[in-house]
Amino acid sequence: MRLRTALMGACATAAMALPALAERGSDGNVNILYSQAVSILNPYLSSGTKDVEVSSLIIEPLAGFDEKGNLFPRLAAEIPTLENGGVSEDLTTITWKLKEGLLWSDGTPVTSADVVFSWQYCTHPEGGCAQAARYEGVQSVEAIDERTVKVTFSAPKPNPYSAFVGSTSPIIQKAQFQDCLGAAAATCTAQNFGPIGTGPFRVTEFKVNDVVQLEANPHYRDPEKPAFATVMVKGGGDAAGAARAVMETGEFDYAWNTQINPELQAQMKAGGKGQFVSAFGTLVERIEMNLTNPSPSLPEGERSTVKHPHPFLTDARVRKALSMAIDRNLLVEVGYGEAGRPTCNLVPAPEIYASDNTDCLTQDIEGAKALLEEAGFTPGPDGIRVNADGVRLSVLYQTSVNPVRQDFQALIKQWWNEIGVEVELKSIDPGVYFGGDPGSPDTFQKFYADVEMYANNFDGTDPEPYLAQYLCDKIPGPENQWQGENINRYCDPAYEALVRELAQTRDIAARAELVKRMNDMLTKESHVVVPLVDRGRLSAHSNTLGGVVLNVWDTELWNVQDWYRIK
Amino acid sequence: MPEAAAARRKLVEVRDLRMHFPIYAGLLRRRVGAVKAVDGVSFDIHEGETLGLVGESGCGKSTCGRALLRLYEPTSGSIRIDGREIATAGFDTLRTLRPIMQMVFQDPQASLNPRMTVGSIIGEPLDEHTRLSRREKQERIHELMDAVGLNRAFANRYPHEFSGGQRQSIGIARALALNPRFIVCDEPIAALDVSIQAQVVNLLEDLQARFGLTYLFISHDLSMVRHIADRVAVMDLGRIAELAPRDALYEAPLHPYSQALLSAVPEPDPNAETRRRRIILTGDVPSPANPPRGCNFSTRCPRVMPVCREVEPAFREVAPGHFTACHLHDPAISQTAGTAAAPEAKSTADTHVQQGA
Amino acid sequence: MFTYTLRRLLLAIPTLLVISLVIFLLVDLAPGSPASQIPLTVPAEVRMRILEAMGANEPIHVRYLLWLKQFFVVEPLVWVDATFGTAFSEGMQRILSWQSRSPVFDVIVERLPQTLTVVGMAYVVGVLIALPIGIYSAYRQYSWFDQIGTFVAMVGFSVPTFFTGLVLILVFAVNLGWFPSIYNTSLRVTDWESFVAQVRQMVLPVAVLALYNASQISRYMRASMLDNLNQDYVRTARAKGLRERVVVLKHVLRNSMIPVVTVIALGIPTIFGGAIITEQVFRVNGLGALLIGAIQASDLPMVQTLTFIFAVLIVIFNLIADVLYGLLDPRIRYD
Ligand SMILES: Nc1ncnc2c1ncn2[C@@H]1O[C@H](COP(=O)(O)OP(=O)(O)O)[C@@H](O)[C@H]1O
Ligand SMILES: [Mg+2]
Repeated sequence: MRLRTALMGACATAAMALPALAERGSDGNVNILYSQAVSILNPYLSSGTKDVEVSSLIIEPLAGFDEKGNLFPRLAAEIPTLENGGVSEDLTTITWKLKEGLLWSDGTPVTSADVVFSWQYCTHPEGGCAQAARYEGVQSVEAIDERTVKVTFSAPKPNPYSAFVGSTSPIIQKAQFQDCLGAAAATCTAQNFGPIGTGPFRVTEFKVNDVVQLEANPHYRDPEKPAFATVMVKGGGDAAGAARAVMETGEFDYAWNTQINPELQAQMKAGGKGQFVSAFGTLVERIEMNLTNPSPSLPEGERSTVKHPHPFLTDARVRKALSMAIDRNLLVEVGYGEAGRPTCNLVPAPEIYASDNTDCLTQDIEGAKALLEEAGFTPGPDGIRVNADGVRLSVLYQTSVNPVRQDFQALIKQWWNEIGVEVELKSIDPGVYFGGDPGSPDTFQKFYADVEMYANNFDGTDPEPYLAQYLCDKIPGPENQWQGENINRYCDPAYEALVRELAQTRDIAARAELVKRMNDMLTKESHVVVPLVDRGRLSAHSNTLGGVVLNVWDTELWNVQDWYRIK
Repeated sequence: MPEAAAARRKLVEVRDLRMHFPIYAGLLRRRVGAVKAVDGVSFDIHEGETLGLVGESGCGKSTCGRALLRLYEPTSGSIRIDGREIATAGFDTLRTLRPIMQMVFQDPQASLNPRMTVGSIIGEPLDEHTRLSRREKQERIHELMDAVGLNRAFANRYPHEFSGGQRQSIGIARALALNPRFIVCDEPIAALDVSIQAQVVNLLEDLQARFGLTYLFISHDLSMVRHIADRVAVMDLGRIAELAPRDALYEAPLHPYSQALLSAVPEPDPNAETRRRRIILTGDVPSPANPPRGCNFSTRCPRVMPVCREVEPAFREVAPGHFTACHLHDPAISQTAGTAAAPEAKSTADTHVQQGA
Repeated sequence: MFTYTLRRLLLAIPTLLVISLVIFLLVDLAPGSPASQIPLTVPAEVRMRILEAMGANEPIHVRYLLWLKQFFVVEPLVWVDATFGTAFSEGMQRILSWQSRSPVFDVIVERLPQTLTVVGMAYVVGVLIALPIGIYSAYRQYSWFDQIGTFVAMVGFSVPTFFTGLVLILVFAVNLGWFPSIYNTSLRVTDWESFVAQVRQMVLPVAVLALYNASQISRYMRASMLDNLNQDYVRTARAKGLRERVVVLKHVLRNSMIPVVTVIALGIPTIFGGAIITEQVFRVNGLGALLIGAIQASDLPMVQTLTFIFAVLIVIFNLIADVLYGLLDPRIRYD
């Protein structure tokens, strides 16, 4: 017995002495938990983060983003740039070259035809491709030779790294999907549930909204990776349960998006089986000011439209006062803990784009009061400020039903009351609020309230399209079925000029300057957008799982091929 | 008839039988008292005779009948049937004694298992206590059905398919299955239509004659008891107030309670009927959970004496075969206080005596 | 009995059609839209095209009629094809889930086994422990056993399953580490070891649900036994000189089972409905989790189909309960 134990010990030491990344599949199984279960493994048919991320274990784009937001080649041999000639001088074409010897998981070679097909698949007018925005401005995609594709844009594109970049625009296999174009896309269940890919794993079993079983892709380009032979991605439940399964019971190695309250975070850490990892991207919880009048006394079709400016939120001093009254540090402490930090920026990251705007971080109730006085609003008999024209500072403040948001509403209401602003709170079912139904009065786009709160971010690392949302012609209204993105109904020719300039600027430093300038215009100069919290991503992994690097710029599972078991 | 009965052998001997039901109350359901449903009764039933047991509803008749057959566990006392002790018999002994004593229930519908056919209801005791073959059993079931006047063809029907009288016949056939010697009939006709009551009573009498059965016939219908019983016991609140041969009791009841009860019975003779004076009792009917001190009837007795509220009257034989538990008939007491008692009773118990309708 | 059943079945058809329309309207008019699942980063035009591809913006009557056709014509044909190898349904559009773009029925069929094993097992276990407890509690009414049984039943019935589930997880999965807190739906039972693993992972969810089911059914059983124990026919049985066991198990129990059996039958559709909360807590991902997920994602075809199937099951099991009652209780006769 003792001898055997000794022998086994010796074997174990021998195994450990070998290089950690010895062999594909040597580390057995890894269990990943997504509190939202995976519905489909084709990101072109689903915009759900969970679907996109788990698909990224199987199918890959030409290039991805690393944890710092830098581009790195995946299927591409290198990143095309102006310097290496991959991007044309006039910014209208980008030419990608595939790595040599790439194989699909079924053993057939990956060719430029697959890349062209992926573009055709997603841009088919009847396909309802969820990632069509990735291919916006792409005029054509041609195969130059077996390994080279040229993407041509209809207009100069300072940021050409959109199509085929990031987990939302992966390359799918032409041979597998060629009968699934357009309306046929939805009938290709087998394909959508088991795409053939180039990623480190391939699907062995998929149960809708439940579990995905994967095994190492035998044709993965790095013969030593992945270290894990199999992966199980289980779905369902809630964030707290997911965190518990990693931190307390140790049943799972990795749990995605374990967004739980700070108290519970601390309690789970005591379980000692795992650790939380957090990283900050561009997701900002903010209050949006309505510059138009949402008054129910206005006729339907004219409420919250540019026809009727808001009675008092059009005054920048009032907006600023409302922002000043908020204690963002307390909000973070109450709602997010480690997974949030106070911010005054609409674009909090990547670093080069983040403005050094920190004025809003200290709450200033007295300053806010003084500002309102200056704007002509003095406290009435009930303590609510009124101006000479009889305009009362009374706001309707809406958001979606969500425990953290309701906490925020309560706190902010208290601060605003303190400065003499009356606040009525409203919380709307998220399915309705974000549902975009033009017939519903409660969507965030319709904005039948004075201020509203939600979180938004931008895809990838380039804030250009995000900042371009604040154009006058993107204001939601009855003429466009309330589908515009300019929620605040902001309209400033100076800002429009900056948007145009950004679209033509290709120097990164100059772009960064423009972005900061625009960010400041929307936030600290006008307080049209009142950022509150820079919301990070909080995930959990077990102490025995090595190689985890949290990445908020692309899929969280971006480097799963490098994960290994710590023995 | 009474003389003949007295000469016969005693089949059932009951001595000081008590049946107290515990009362539980409160959060922890602790025992807080007892319902003295039967509180010390003694009587004999002779072989082949019918003893009527009468009394107001709730006075403990059914309890007494059930306790006799050990369908309840009696609190104390002794019950001997055919010389064998029932009250304390062990469970297995009791099972072997079951065939000689049976019961016919008041509600024929409720007393028959709704999910069993008539044949299996009647035949079940045979499975349990005999080793008859299937054929023999079938034969016996048919015999019994004939005996109670049921069509043999109905053996596979369920009780609910029969009329009330037929159901009671099924109950009787079932009771007869094991050739019992003693049957407790607990108000066997109370739930039946008047038109059918006579049929069932005739059937019972008929069977008694054929099989030499002994009955304890419980009823609150005094006329029917007069018709069927040889002797009658009058029960009041768990005790027997009076027990006498039928004619003696109906003609000259001794106990004021018996007198009051019988005053309500219409006389068949029209002359007697016009002479009948109905006694309406007033005062509280005591609860069996909390009976009064002394005589149970003292709260309502038109002829109550002070002693009645203090001392429980003894159950004594005042004439041959005529027993009563009343101080009025206790020679020791009635001689000293009897004369003074009557007027006092009038004032305290607020008794009316009025002409019968 | 046969004509009665047939008549009831025929009557059920118009009822179910009306139910299907009502469900459709309710589901459709309920607030929420599949678009709410699309992140805000997706531009408005793309959103519109996604909804178009789903068919989510067709007028309601078109969608209802399409669903009716798919449910009553296409899906049965698909089933016929799968069974007999025919090709009637070729080229026909099946009911597709908006979430997964896959046929709703395939997902339901995939979910059924885990729901039946966990929720069904919990029901069976619940019934199996409820019956003896109910019987003994009634037989020894107000005894210690009965008092404890009453208390446990009250707790089991009134404490919500998400709470009992969480408590069990904290005690048995987190602190003691005896059982997993997450159900592995892809576990295949092939040998002793995997069988043990399957049993272990079923213990907690089955315990939670069985406690809940048992507390309900044991109460019915107890009440029904008490009703019967005081009946005269029980005295008759005793007077017959039957053994106590025979009296209780044959006479009393058989009669007491009549209402209990119907209650059990009526509860069976809830097995198929899954246990929304418990499935969610333990990630059993059966039909209950499927339904709640579909509701959250406003996956109308899925919600509509599932709820309608539940409605059909409820109608069927009501009929079964009635027929069973008729079979068990000779006093009840149909026609
Ligand atoms: N099982 C029992 N438990 C408690 N009390 C009972 C029970 N059976 C009868 N009693 C009580 O005993 C008394 C006598 O009842 P019963 O014998 O049925 O009267 P009767 O048959 O003369 O109408 C009544 O007060 C009744 O409430
Ligand atoms: Mg009675």
